[in-house]
Amino acid sequence: MIGEFVEIAGRRYEVVPDREGGVTIEPAITPAAQLHAQRGTKPASEDDFERLSADVPYDDEG
Amino acid sequence: MPDSPAGGGLPPVSIEFGSVEWREEVERYDRRSPARAQAQSARKTIETGTAKLDWKRCKADGPDATKLPGCRKLYIPLGRQGASGAPYGFVFQLIQKPDDSLAWNMIAFGERHPANERTRNVYERAHKRLHGHYL
Repeated sequence: MIGEFVEIAGRRYEVVPDREGGVTIEPAITPAAQLHAQRGTKPASEDDFERLSADVPYDDEG
Repeated sequence: MPDSPAGGGLPPVSIEFGSVEWREEVERYDRRSPARAQAQSARKTIETGTAKLDWKRCKADGPDATKLPGCRKLYIPLGRQGASGAPYGFVFQLIQKPDDSLAWNMIAFGERHPANERTRNVYERAHKRLHGHYL
């Protein structure tokens, strides 16, 4: 059931786990891999990311 | 509006808002919601290049076990930092386009610290977009 999609009033919702061991629905999030395949893009290399982000700081969030 | 890497010698990197991601991340909010208004305002500012962007790196291993390698973030409203002053965030993934150019592509928008514990934060949403599932 988790990972299935339902359409309500013309919008796509995905069945996802909630934080209490149950399930809920939320607006679908199209995986990046699917979008890359459609657009001919791909994640940049780690080297490119580090080259561009060497001076960019982290903080205490995600 | 491209992002100009520090240090010089590196070509500017464009900042992109894909239509699918925008619909799923921003337009899920009601048209009159503060979140949607803040996202639209920030996008306009980013695209017109009228503000210095205070980028931060996302963590490959985040505090909630989110894994966001190759990603950066901007807090919204732009120019503010604290969770109360900037309650929302955009997460961008560095991508390589078919012509080999690089771009920062928005992959998630949402609350940094949702008051409702059932609400997924922006990092969890970004993780799900990258990995296809929540933790």
